Amino acid sequence: MANKPVIVRFYRFQNRLREKTAGLGGGKAAISEEALEAAQQALSKMSEDYPDWVSGLIAKLQEQHGRCVDTPEDRRDCFEAINHMAHDMKGQGGTFGYPLITAFADSLYGFTSGSSDFADNRVELVKSHIDSMRAVIRGRVSGDGGEIGKKLTDSLNDAIEKYSS
Amino acid sequence: MSDYDFDRLNVLLAEDSPFIRSLLINSLKVLGVGNVYALEHGGDAINFLQQVKNEPMKVGVQQIDIVISNWDMSPVDGMMFLRWVRRHKDSPDRFVPFVMITSYTEPERVLQAREMGVTEMLAKPFTIKNIGEKLTSIIERPRQFVHTKDYFGPDRRRQRVNISGPDRRVLNDKSEGVEVIRG
Repeated sequence: MANKPVIVRFYRFQNRLREKTAGLGGGKAAISEEALEAAQQALSKMSEDYPDWVSGLIAKLQEQHGRCVDTPEDRRDCFEAINHMAHDMKGQGGTFGYPLITAFADSLYGFTSGSSDFADNRVELVKSHIDSMRAVIRGRVSGDGGEIGKKLTDSLNDAIEKYSS
Repeated sequence: MSDYDFDRLNVLLAEDSPFIRSLLINSLKVLGVGNVYALEHGGDAINFLQQVKNEPMKVGVQQIDIVISNWDMSPVDGMMFLRWVRRHKDSPDRFVPFVMITSYTEPERVLQAREMGVTEMLAKPFTIKNIGEKLTSIIERPRQFVHTKDYFGPDRRRQRVNISGPDRRVLNDKSEGVEVIRG
């Protein structure tokens, strides 16, 4: 008899992960409440450190910006370093209550990605981004920042318009 | 009700942001996970899994139980990593539960990951409760794997619907062309 073609295969395995974590007994199990509580506290504690951590990155961005000004021949490398840091920053601001950091870092990341334009205007634009992010952290502007947040966003957009033309 | 013991669990974590990486390692450790292997992006994670397959003694781990990966990473992002895990011949375990962390929660992005065979999606910003729910779902409600000509991954149907009346589905376990593999 010729083999019929297989249209679909179902793989059904024994639940080894459950055996490994809840034992062979098969009784009800859950993640310990104490562990959940302890982990949530650890997470909150780390979140509190977030502004300090970002401040450190902003200082590094500032260094790279200084290099762009002092040694224009290094600009390609500087922009690459800035691009990398911006990527790090944009992924997490929102997680710790600072979506403006994410938005500004995203903008910085966007215009330093794959560009070969390292003119003075671009360097100024990097500076505008750094200043905006610093203002967010210095003022602990969390969430959308309300009026202050809007002002910061508007002034960064003005800078983008000014230096992009 | 007893507590899970995660002490023997081996979790592979691919996350490029140093801050989130240490945060996740820390959270998993406090939840009691015995071993967390953290890598910076999908490429490093693939290399690590190849080592697990080829030289388990050298890396000191026989099997990864759960993969947790960020989506947006470079050079190898979470989707490319997931594709490798599910489809590549060198993948040590094509059935391993895969949790994708993402701030992209638009329906089409979620769908894209689902079609690639993701097990769970963890949206940023996340809480410990969210992580706990994903782990519980993986342990308590594993889904059968489905392999068709254009899909390989956990069954995309999560719900078990009780059918009242005759079963009119085109294929069931006894149909021609259906093969059930148990293990």
